[in-house]
Amino acid sequence: MSIVTELLVIGVFAGLMGLDRRGAFQLMVSQPIVALPLLGLFFGDAYTGAMLGALVQLLWMSSSLFGANVPPNETVAGLTIGGMVFMFNAHGGHSNDPQAVWAMAVLLGCPMAMAGRWLEQKNDQANLRICRRADAAVRLGRPRIITRLPLWGLARAFVLNAGMVSLATIIGWGVLLALAPVLRATTLTAVTLYLLPAIGLGVTLAALRRRRGIVLAVAMFVVGLLVGAPQ
Amino acid sequence: MSAPIDAPIEAPIEAVPTHTTVGTRVLVHVLWRSFFFLAAANYQRMQNVGFGYAMLPALERLHTGDALRSATARHLEFFNSHPYMAGLILGAAVRIEEDIAAGTCEPERVQRFKTQMMGPLAAIGDSFFWTSLRPLGAILAIAGVLNGWLWAPLIFILLYNACHLSLRGYGLFAGYRQAEQVVTLVHRWRLVRLADWAHVATGALVGIAGAQFVGIARASMPIGDGLEPVLLATLTCITALCVKRHLPLLGVLYVLVAGCLAFVLCLQAVFPIF
Repeated sequence: MSIVTELLVIGVFAGLMGLDRRGAFQLMVSQPIVALPLLGLFFGDAYTGAMLGALVQLLWMSSSLFGANVPPNETVAGLTIGGMVFMFNAHGGHSNDPQAVWAMAVLLGCPMAMAGRWLEQKNDQANLRICRRADAAVRLGRPRIITRLPLWGLARAFVLNAGMVSLATIIGWGVLLALAPVLRATTLTAVTLYLLPAIGLGVTLAALRRRRGIVLAVAMFVVGLLVGAPQ
Repeated sequence: MSAPIDAPIEAPIEAVPTHTTVGTRVLVHVLWRSFFFLAAANYQRMQNVGFGYAMLPALERLHTGDALRSATARHLEFFNSHPYMAGLILGAAVRIEEDIAAGTCEPERVQRFKTQMMGPLAAIGDSFFWTSLRPLGAILAIAGVLNGWLWAPLIFILLYNACHLSLRGYGLFAGYRQAEQVVTLVHRWRLVRLADWAHVATGALVGIAGAQFVGIARASMPIGDGLEPVLLATLTCITALCVKRHLPLLGVLYVLVAGCLAFVLCLQAVFPIF
């Protein structure tokens, strides 16, 4: 499959996930633990997608859309990270240590969550125009025009998400290729195996409202170690 | 193809027959449109376009001419609630609009009802769906994936959407049947209590996922002397404390990575064989 086709698929997928995240349905398919294995299926590597999805999901486990608050966009970050890794693995990337590649991709892709948030804020500002258009339609006795107005919001969100993730994937993939010689470093593997899971678990623990939940987490961790949690 | 967003508006509205009830078909149409609630979310009036868009099939059935114009304008006022819980408000608003069309209540009642309900329902929805059910489903999927079940995210989607879609659908029809009495129904669902239990269950699954991560690390890159769980637990505690103190996540991530790199470089400088 050509590079252009793959980038196009990543872009379209990111656009659709952007709609699920905010604009339409909100079925949570856009959560990294779901979206990345799906993207991985396309590249024939669902396992990598699932593992990356697990790491990224944990990092932003506590981010939620509350009212006017727009949280970091874990969907954009996750898809950019996934896109980088899949493109690296499919085209020219040679590393004996996939976990080092994952670590570098996560470190490069994490700021995209903030870029995605900025994009959503700009999109919300642009939607003001749609709001004014709805007012004008009602004032002029044509409320039926409102029927097509949300489509403009959805179309804009789709294009912005698709464009941002595609562009970030191309740049990130290039950086990964440039950094390929250092992608066997043991320290990077340790980041994937110890640091990223620990940070994710820490974020999730901090978000728990009940002290019983934290006590149970410690208890289950010890029990899991004693009985040898399957992996 | 639809006209551009700034195209001039020309012809006046056509009159359609007025009814005093909307019927199931229109309610299903309203339900379908409620899935696009946040499509035009904006900072000034939040989900007002989404609410107006969802209500329009019902309003067109109940009102004509100026009545339709003022009814649509009523539903383009500020609205901000949880998108899944908004079905309840939509259903009740349709019922109140029926009363308005029949002339048995004043138009201000619907806006008053929406204003009273949107805040509390948003709080309940945020607490149950965003901060409880979503993390529970996600950590369940993560534990499954770490266990080698790549289909585990499907459980998350099924569990989450079973609650989400049933609440949306049932909520709209229950809101329509009970109108302003819908408050007692929400109270009966005990979503806040369920959210508390979800947090406890999430805690248990975090522990299991932690043990699974230790197992994976031991298999791929053992430190030796059984120190893997100690390292993972220490880093987890450090992160949890930082996040509790509202330190930015990306800052914590990059500082910890830089710290680890510096530590390894120092070790290599002091012990060249390391």
